[in-house]
Amino acid sequence: MSVSQAAARLAPPLRLDRRARALLASAGAVLLSLVVGGLLVVIAGGDPVAAYRALLDGALGTPYGIGQMLVLAIPLVIIGLGLALAFRGRVYNIGAEGQLFMGALAAGVVAIFLPVGFDPLLIGAATVAGVLAGAAWGGIVGVLRARWGVNEVITSLLLNFVAILIFTYCVRRPLRAPGSPDLQGRSIQPDAALPALPDLAVHIGVFLALLLVPLAAYVISRTPFGFRVRMLGFNAEAARTAGVRSGRMVVGLMVISGGLAGLAGGLQVLGVAERLDPGISQGYGFTAIVVALLGRLNALGVLLAGLFIALLQSGGQAMSVIEGVPYAIVLAIPAVFVVFLLIADRFARGS
Amino acid sequence: MDWSEIFGPDALVVLLSTSVAFAMPTALAAVGETVAERAGVLNLGLEGMLLAGALVSFLVAYYVGSVALGTVAGVAIGVVLGALMAFLSVSLRTEQIINGIAIVLVAQGITLFVFEKLFGGEEQPTIAGISDVEVPLLHDIPGVGPVVFEQNVLFYLSLALALGVSLLLTRTRFGLSVRAVGESPAAAEATAVSVARTRWLALLVCGGMAGLGGAVLVLGQLNVFEEDVSGGRGWVAIALVIFGRWNPLLVLGGAFLFGFTDALQIRVQAVSGGIASSVPTEIFGALPYVVTLAVMVAATVLAGRDAQPAALGVPFRKGVNA
Repeated sequence: MSVSQAAARLAPPLRLDRRARALLASAGAVLLSLVVGGLLVVIAGGDPVAAYRALLDGALGTPYGIGQMLVLAIPLVIIGLGLALAFRGRVYNIGAEGQLFMGALAAGVVAIFLPVGFDPLLIGAATVAGVLAGAAWGGIVGVLRARWGVNEVITSLLLNFVAILIFTYCVRRPLRAPGSPDLQGRSIQPDAALPALPDLAVHIGVFLALLLVPLAAYVISRTPFGFRVRMLGFNAEAARTAGVRSGRMVVGLMVISGGLAGLAGGLQVLGVAERLDPGISQGYGFTAIVVALLGRLNALGVLLAGLFIALLQSGGQAMSVIEGVPYAIVLAIPAVFVVFLLIADRFARGS
Repeated sequence: MDWSEIFGPDALVVLLSTSVAFAMPTALAAVGETVAERAGVLNLGLEGMLLAGALVSFLVAYYVGSVALGTVAGVAIGVVLGALMAFLSVSLRTEQIINGIAIVLVAQGITLFVFEKLFGGEEQPTIAGISDVEVPLLHDIPGVGPVVFEQNVLFYLSLALALGVSLLLTRTRFGLSVRAVGESPAAAEATAVSVARTRWLALLVCGGMAGLGGAVLVLGQLNVFEEDVSGGRGWVAIALVIFGRWNPLLVLGGAFLFGFTDALQIRVQAVSGGIASSVPTEIFGALPYVVTLAVMVAATVLAGRDAQPAALGVPFRKGVNA
């Protein structure tokens, strides 16, 4: 028996074993973080079983609740997909929050001022403006890294503060709703508002999010671009030797992930707030990092993780009201989960 | 708006003395980060360590009534998070960037949870401030005296520690080990310096410094805790390490620059009368971050990345790494 035959005979059970261990590791991480969550509930003086039940009831008990969960999931999934792609190529964009706000601002300006009487055109133009603004804001970071090797983690993060303050400035001053108090930005034209599904009260952006999941999966696993991204993530040095132009890839990944964050921001303005409002994001750009990591940088995984975290957050409101448990617990659980997952993965891979 | 209220002779002394005070939390975190990075570990969890240090020191000071104990507690929680970072990055060798981001997220989630649980829906809790101490003789030095030597005890402690850790890195045997494992871990290991041990220690120092930074921020300056009180200072500190070319004294200088822009924007907001004024205070609010970004980018563009520790971000495994 040749070596390759022996290897072929050995390979399948080994691979299964590794998958089984990875699965076991994930399950262990889920279990542990739910236990930690329960412990936090106990510390807060609540009953963990009742708290988790209140959370599920709140998120899934009524059509309206489900709708609210989906509205939350839309930005998380859209941004998470872009981050998953970027992280695959080891481009650590943690500036999605700022990119979201720049996208929201651009989409909002178009939706407020563009004199078009035809809804689809107006909505389309505003959405494209949001994507472009987010892509440009992310692109700055990509160019700095590609051209001069400036660490993208730090620049993208610091640009969040700048973007949010620019947004706040615009909402308070040039784009303030006439005669309104402090932080009310102008409303968009009624034609620019996204239609919503009856009963669920979910804007049609939900279809866009669902469409993007298979598209991202296809790009990652079936296109030359996705192949280069994976090569870059696996071994940047080898990828460069093989002719992958890493600078262009870095800029590309920042532009794509920034553009998706900008899209999410645009949808928040057009479909949720229908005005320029600093409240359009409750830190979605940061939560999406957790979504991407929990989803294991995999498109379908991002969809599931996005739904899971949206469920936690929308149910968390109900839980905090009914059980008197602080809402922040639903922010702590996924973060603890990420740490457990890191540890579990390491042990599943073995030394 | 009357700019002489900010830059006039008397006002300038106030502006500069608040600048150096505001610089301190960032300075401590940045010097700590310099130690970690010189040892080869990119610790992106700094913001979380600063935030946790702020909360824990505030809680101890609030319930026990002791600023000293609060400060110790702030350092301690920083060291704990430093240990978590070391466990993940050095012992398990998982991706350092992800570890750091995860630590920030955990710290944010848990501090918010604890704070909401204890004070949710109540009036914002405050603690008594600590008074300034004039250093005899030194505070009579014209110019420098009133700016640097009329501060509170935590300020002096911080300044001494920041300078002390800088010396630790450049002038001691431990510092030499740190620099060796960051530049060439395999060579260091060959000369009987344990890479794992040195990196663990560097991260504990870094966590402690960031935790102290959080304590100085709430106990020495703000006297309140609020959601996200660290306000990105940890991230700014990481940027300043790059700006300062991994040289602790230059990093410290960068922190004072940040402190100045921060003090300036707060002063502008106060003097201009806030939202009703014609001065766009939001634009000034962005100033500390913009300046930090600009100097970091400028330093990288002009000086290249030669100063960066060669093994920064690369996990080390005995007998594998060349």
